[in-house]
Parts: sequence; C-alpha cells; structure tokens
Amino acid sequence: MLFFSYFKELVGREVTVELKNDLAIRGTLHSVDQYLNIKLENTRVVDQEKYPHMMSVRNCFIRGSVVRYVQLPPEGVDVELLHDATRREARGG
Amino acid sequence: MVYGIREFNERVGEGAGEPFLDADNGEELMHVQPGVSIVLGNRPPESPGTLYISTKKVVWLSDVDREKGYAVDFLSLSLHAVSRDPEAYPSPCIYAQIETGADEGESEDSDSESNGVVELSKTTEMRLVPSDPSQLDALFEVFCECAELNPEPIEEEDREEHNWIFSASQMEDEVAEDEDSDWHLSQNSTNSIGQSNGDHDLARTVLELQINDQRFEDAEEMEHHTDSAHQ
Repeated sequence: MLFFSYFKELVGREVTVELKNDLAIRGTLHSVDQYLNIKLENTRVVDQEKYPHMMSVRNCFIRGSVVRYVQLPPEGVDVELLHDATRREARGG
Repeated sequence: MVYGIREFNERVGEGAGEPFLDADNGEELMHVQPGVSIVLGNRPPESPGTLYISTKKVVWLSDVDREKGYAVDFLSLSLHAVSRDPEAYPSPCIYAQIETGADEGESEDSDSESNGVVELSKTTEMRLVPSDPSQLDALFEVFCECAELNPEPIEEEDREEHNWIFSASQMEDEVAEDEDSDWHLSQNSTNSIGQSNGDHDLARTVLELQINDQRFEDAEEMEHHTDSAHQ
C-alpha cells in the first residue's frame, strides 16, 4: 500500500507513465486506485513519431498491471519521507 | 484466462439478442450502447452494431449478423481513452489497447499462414465509434469503473492451485499411508502428489486443516457401520 499512498500524494502533478509495451505517456495524474490503475489528463505521448495515433488522446486510463515505470517530478519526491515510509513498510508496520 | 480479443457469438434471446453473460460467476451487464461501429487494428470499420459492457468484458455484437461479434475481457485491456482528434481517427471514439499475451517468439510465417481467428487474437488496438459522440465521456467512465472491478487475479489463482493439488482424493491417499488409520483406501496411494514430491509434511498440514470436512465425517460413519457389520 506504500505506492498507493505515495501516488495519491502526487495527484495533480505531471508524471510520465511507461508501459510494458514501451509506450510512454506524459500527463497530469488525475487519480490512482489500490491496484495502481492510473488515470491521466492532458496527456501526450513521449515518442510521438512512433505512436502518432495516440497524439489525439487527452485523457486515459492505464491498467496498473501494464505499468513498468512511473517517472515522478523531482520536486514531488521527498526522499526523507520515502525513506521513513519504506522502513516502516519493511518492518510490517 | 484468454488474452486478447476473440470472436463471440454466444447470444441469448430473440432477434439480434444479447450476449450470454456468466451470471453464475457474478457477471452483470453494466451498459448497453446501440449504434456503435468497431475498428480492430487496421481493419475497416464494422457496423452497425451494439456495444455491451459487463462487469467482466466488453462485447460488440453485429445488429445484422447473429454470428458476428467480438469480446475482450477487461483483464486484457491495457489502456483506454477518448480520442477526438480527427487527424488520429476521422470519428471521435473510445480507443483501447489490448494485451494479447501472444508469444513474441512466433515467426512471421505463422502470421501469413494464419486464418482470421489467429490474426484477431493478435490485434492490439480497438476503436469503438458511437454514432452519438456525446456518449463518449459516459462510455469512458463505464470502462474505468469496470476496469477497476477486474484487478489481476494472481492471488486467487495461487489459492486455486493449492486446492487443486491437494484435492480430496489425494488427501485420502495421505491418510491411507498412515498405518494407524482405520481407513482402507490404499489402492490409489501411488497417486499421492505429496509423496512423489517429497513434500509429505505440507500435504499432512493441509490434511489436518481440513480433517473436519463433512466428507470425512461421512466416511468415518460409513467405516463404523462397515466395521460393526463385520463383527
């Protein structure tokens, strides 16, 4: 649940979601659920030449299980907070 | 599970009918959208048709050909979105990417030789074009809602697998190997998976957990009856 809690904090920020099929979509994080399904708004495809048909999409729902990486905005990453949270999670708290 | 999109002609009812839903497993119809054409990959659009969204899958049925229809499980839908840019596609539509689970090592030869069904199973993109574009946002929300109802079934599969390995007959075999047991079920003892895997203790643990199962109570009673009849 750490990732879920953490991603919830990032709602409204700009992230890049990279899928397991190599498609990368940048957009504003609209919402995330416990399965890490991700809804993005104001999306754009990072590699538009490779995926021209995706350019038109303004909002999309991405199934959590197909996400490979979520690139976070540097200013959205509180390293100390994450450190503490991961330690707590590892202890089973 | 079946990955990708598949042909679907299980209809119920008169006329064009409706898709058969697996009501026994809790599948419910969530939304019906008439006047939708479907575009699979680079194929030409097919219409007219009706879109059915259930708690498990998306079904498109042709309005004119009862044998024609397609279905894709929400588990196979990687992504869905509203597409409105005419440069990407001439008509506003729901755009979806489909996880095919196809073996990437398969040769191109099998593609060229394949019939329509095999190509269909490798289709990775689907567009659903409603004749009324004002319905797109509502459709998108229904897709989201149903996608959230279908998380990855990994844990459940694990559980089922354990149940399957330690089925009732295998547990009886385990008991039969116990020399203190009054049960005489040794005929099948060579089939014991627990024994063949050298995993005796695990099988025993599962057995102990389920020893109060009604089947065993019945078996015990039967044994008693049989015993007294012999005496």
